[in-house]
Amino acid sequence: MRGVTPAVIFFAGAGLAPLVVQDAFLLDSLVFILIWGAAAAAWNVAGGYAGQISLGHSAFFGLGAYGAAIFGVRWELSPWLGLAAGALVAMVVGLLIGYLSNRLRGPYFVLATIAFSQVLLVAASRWRGFLSGGEGIPVPFRPGFWTLGIADKRVWVWIVLGLAILAYVVAMYLERARRGYQLAAVREDEDAALSLGVPARRLKVAAICVSAALTAACGALWAQYVGFVDPFYVFSVDLSLRFALAAVVGGLGTALGPFLGAALVTTVETFLRGQFGGIGAGLVGIYLIIYGCALIVMVRWAPQGLVGWVRERWPRRAVAGTAP
Amino acid sequence: MSQLSVAGVSKRFGGVVANRSISFEVEPGELIGIIGPNGAGKSTLFEIITGFYHPDGGEVRLDGERLTGLAPDVVCRRGIARTFQKLRPFQGLTVLDNVMVGALTRTKDVRHARERARELIGKVGLGEKAEAYARTLSTGQRKRLELARALATEPRVLLLDEVTGGVDQRSIPDLVRLVRTLHAGGLTLLVIEHNMRVITAVAQRIIALHLGEVIADGTPDAIARDRRVVEAYLGQAYVP
Repeated sequence: MRGVTPAVIFFAGAGLAPLVVQDAFLLDSLVFILIWGAAAAAWNVAGGYAGQISLGHSAFFGLGAYGAAIFGVRWELSPWLGLAAGALVAMVVGLLIGYLSNRLRGPYFVLATIAFSQVLLVAASRWRGFLSGGEGIPVPFRPGFWTLGIADKRVWVWIVLGLAILAYVVAMYLERARRGYQLAAVREDEDAALSLGVPARRLKVAAICVSAALTAACGALWAQYVGFVDPFYVFSVDLSLRFALAAVVGGLGTALGPFLGAALVTTVETFLRGQFGGIGAGLVGIYLIIYGCALIVMVRWAPQGLVGWVRERWPRRAVAGTAP
Repeated sequence: MSQLSVAGVSKRFGGVVANRSISFEVEPGELIGIIGPNGAGKSTLFEIITGFYHPDGGEVRLDGERLTGLAPDVVCRRGIARTFQKLRPFQGLTVLDNVMVGALTRTKDVRHARERARELIGKVGLGEKAEAYARTLSTGQRKRLELARALATEPRVLLLDEVTGGVDQRSIPDLVRLVRTLHAGGLTLLVIEHNMRVITAVAQRIIALHLGEVIADGTPDAIARDRRVVEAYLGQAYVP
């Protein structure tokens, strides 16, 4: 329930950067920061706001990625339609996982979500005929906006920025609207929320569905940008962890946190890989060790995430949006 | 017609009978105390009335409408609110946000809910704590918070599970006054309470439970003299 100024600065900065920055590597990084940020923000809707920690969100990401790829490759339709279809399927799967969240709590729910993404991984990597199995699907480059064949990275920044802002707006809604208050209550104590008339189960399922659809949209755009869908990547636990990690590092249950977290994690990762990765550096994989240590330091000294860390040091007197 | 009707409610957990065919009627505006030793089935009865447990037999009606079988959130929206014996404030939310959650059950307008919540926070005497996180409150303050939160759902019947339990002696008179004020405002109250001095002072009628059964139902005076109640719960020494 805070002001939106930092977010406006962040998104305006990202939107204006392509006008100044020419460097393809930097623009590429920006596209990824925004995609991972949007995916982390989508994860945050379920994990942060609704308190339903999932480590299987790559399932939704993969569904979106495959949706866009299949629509383009198999039917020569627009990947935008694939995005919509992927989001729709993800919502249906979200319903299922939401149902699980009403049966399983805590670690059992987390394990169930992991299992779910792994089931999809196995299915996608075995279905040779339609999904090309474990080989993955190359996404053909068909020039045009409707076919999302865009060579100009600046345009990509703006496209994924749109999705990022959408994810942010959903989070802001959850901070300010009635349903957001109710969801926070469910996260804090489901029984107490029920006793106050909050339809806890329906809200949890709805949150997971919205989170799933947004994640799928991220997956679809990612597939079009990268140009290749590999089932072992898009359905991996690593990817699910990436979403969760960015949200936790940035600040669970905060609107801007996941974007800041994604920016930090992606930058640090890229930097470390550049500095210490590769054969030349002598120690292959050392960057992963440094990366892991950095995360431990982060979680030890800023467990509330970046946003929480900042708020602790510079608390505001009046809470924005509160009547005097 | 009575406002709340509990008819033949039974509940067992494995071999333990928590409630055995409990029946009573509550008239609008009554303040009823529910007493009994630990394990008498008081809290189980509350869980059944509020829809958290489904009884094995019997039913609960509010103004003639059957509540049994409805989910707890639906029961609340029908007009029954409660507090918990083991307090359950939303720790990570402010006092104001806690109460707003209750208010938002009756209004879709967040600003309206905020005003209503402020009003109730003032009423229970937590005005200065509005922006404090619930986890920072003392037990007495948490009791008030739960009360405000429950009241925000605009109940017709309010169930209080232990008003003074775990609260320091000095805070008790204020809490008792608060309960009296609510009752004077026309609210129907069911109050589980271990402090006999408190319950005989505020209740018009007391229902005594023992081993899951109603063993007495009457005025505080009659209850205090009831032989079975004295044996099961009060002990010989109690003089009201």
